[in-house]
This record gives sequence, structure tokens and C-alpha cells, in this order.
Amino acid sequence: MDSPVWLVIRGLCRGLHLAGYFGAFGTALFGAVLGQGQLKGLRRLAWGGFVVALLGGAGWFWLQSADFAGAGDPATVLAALPLVAGYTRFGWLTLARMGLLLLALLCAQGRRWRLAAGLAGIGVLAQSWLGHGAAMGGPGGEVLLVSSLVHLAGAAAWLGTLPALALGLCTSLEPFALARRYSRLGMGCVAALLATAVLQYLLLIGKISAFFTTGYGAAALVKLVLFAGLLGLAARNRYRLTPALPASRGMLLRAIAIEAALGLLVLLAAGVLMQLPPPAMASMAGMGE
Amino acid sequence: MKKYLLLFTLAGISPAFAHAFLKQAQPAVGAVVTKPPSSLLLTFTEGLEVKFCKVIVMDSMGMHAETGAPQPVPGHANEMSVPVHFAMPGKYTVTWHALSVDTHRTEGSYSFTIGN
Repeated sequence: MDSPVWLVIRGLCRGLHLAGYFGAFGTALFGAVLGQGQLKGLRRLAWGGFVVALLGGAGWFWLQSADFAGAGDPATVLAALPLVAGYTRFGWLTLARMGLLLLALLCAQGRRWRLAAGLAGIGVLAQSWLGHGAAMGGPGGEVLLVSSLVHLAGAAAWLGTLPALALGLCTSLEPFALARRYSRLGMGCVAALLATAVLQYLLLIGKISAFFTTGYGAAALVKLVLFAGLLGLAARNRYRLTPALPASRGMLLRAIAIEAALGLLVLLAAGVLMQLPPPAMASMAGMGE
Repeated sequence: MKKYLLLFTLAGISPAFAHAFLKQAQPAVGAVVTKPPSSLLLTFTEGLEVKFCKVIVMDSMGMHAETGAPQPVPGHANEMSVPVHFAMPGKYTVTWHALSVDTHRTEGSYSFTIGN
């Protein structure tokens, strides 16, 4: 379970879990903030996100437990699961976050979208306590933690709402008004993501060459390229296709589908990224020896 | 780029030591101590999951000196103590395997000497 292959698979499971979680949260946010709570199919979409989060999370939990225990056989991993669940931050936080998401979905089932979005939002942000910032402590750790909270909020609110936006545009009698309201949310998310990406580059990567000489840098570069693609698509949607609604509805829906697919790839890359050591700490190898 | 790093450093924020590395140890790395301690104290750069950490202490003959598993230190999430018994003076090598709360594993080793 030590090999790079398992590391990537573990990262992909984590990314899939994030994608499902963001989708469930984003759908609830869409229902709560954009006044689309009565939209047909919204609850089914939210539950779909929950199932993806559960499946990705189960894979991630199993593989992470195997890594903690240094175990290769299922029996040893099985024996390690209660220890991981009960005695590690990863264990209890992951279980608590899935519990929160289930509660959120039960609220969504009753069309209590604000409560659902609030509960799922807490679960989204809690992911930050598995990151480097929360582990480090001190001023540097606090800056990284706050950066992670803002980054996660922006990513979840943007990428997580895309499927619900597509659903809304399919049936809305006022697609232009819906798309315009969504644009305001989207632009805020993009600003948050750009600012925190720069900060995290400075603190976790540190130099351009690291993009090409380290695994973390390569994963970050993939994420960056995909993000640039997302920005381009979002700009086209905002400035060309939205003003042309309702005539451009079909093209806009196709563009949103591509945006959602790119968003999924970004999250899968992020999942792998989070398994790797940031280059900025590479010089600490050998400390204390 | 350098001026931004300087700004962050002046603000007390340094590039992330984003894995659990050994920050200090008691007895210290490379120390020579006359009174053998009953436990080692290892301090890391990040919070630890002590249940999944391992510390091996060996003398120059390959005999183990650790007498139990690492234990958490209450109130200090980035520390662990290791019960030890030193049968004789000499050089001891400590090999540590740490699991950080951010799920990353690190390892390293150092030595110190128990003098006569």
C-alpha cells in the first residue's frame, strides 16, 4: 500500500469524495440562495452527490487506514479500522462529516434548503482540519488554515452548484435572470479561489521550477491548467452565452456540462495533490538527524 | 517573489513545514548524558497520531532499549514520549516513524550517547 500507484488511487478516492460532497452541498446552496427550492429533481441530485461522497469516502477511508497501519492484506486493514475511526483526526472527522451530510440531506428531503446548505457547508469547511495548516499550528499554520477554508468554500460553492444550475436552466421560464443571479455567486467564488491559490503557491510550492521537478508541483500544475480552462469556459458563459439567453440555452447547457466535467478533474487532481509533500518543506528532510 | 516571502517571514509566517519532522528531542540529538532517562521525549513540527507512530531505540549491538509503545503527551499534540530502559552505557540510535494529523507519514533517525 506504500507504492505511488496506491497513493494515486487513494488521492482519486479522496477527490471523488470531495466531488460528491461539493455536489450535495452545492445543490442545497442552489436551492437556498437562488430561490430554486421547488425545482423538480433537485432532491434527487443532492442524494446523488451524497452517494458519490459515500462511495469515494469509503474507498478513501479503507485505503488511508491501510496506509496508516502499513497493511497490505484485508484482514489487517479491517482490524485497523476501529483504531482509525476512534483514535485519529482523519477517522472521526471523516465519519462526522458524513454524518453531517446525511443530516443535511434529510433536511433537503423536507425542502429545508437553508438548513441543508448550512450543515453541508460545515462539513465542507471541516475538511480543512485534515490539511497542513491545521496540523502545523503557529502563525503560518493559521494563515494556511484560513486560506484552506476560503479555498474550499469557493470551490464547493462554484463547482458544486453547476449540476443544479444545469437542471435549473433546463426548465426555467426565466433562464436569463437565473444565469445572471448565478454569475454573481460564480464571480465571488473565482476571486476567492484566485487569491487563495496565490497564497498557497507562495507557502506550499515557493518557486516555479517546483511545478516541473516535484510530484506535488506536477499535480498542482495539472490543477492550474484545468482551472484556467474552467475560467475560460466560465467567462464565455458569462459574457457571450448568458446575454444571448434563451436562444443560447442549448449551448450554455453543453458548456456547463463541460465545466462540471473539468471541475471533477480538478477535484481528482486536488485529491492526489493532498497525498503529496509540498516542495516548500523538502529542505526539512533530515531535520533532527 | 522574494519580497513576498520576506513579508510573510517578518509576519512570523514561514514556508510550510508541512509534514511532521523532528523538531527537538530529549535527550537531544547527538547529546552525551550521564544519567540514563526513563523515557525519551520527541517533539515534532506537526500534531501526531501517536497510535500509529513507532519508535525503535537500539544500542550498538542491536539490542532494543524501548520498553513500550509511544505515548501521547497531554496538552502537546506534537509530542510523544517513549518508555526506555538503558542496560549499559554507549551510543543509542533512535529510529522514529511518525504519522501526522494531516495523514502524512515521515521517518528519520538520530543518536545520542549514555556516558559512564
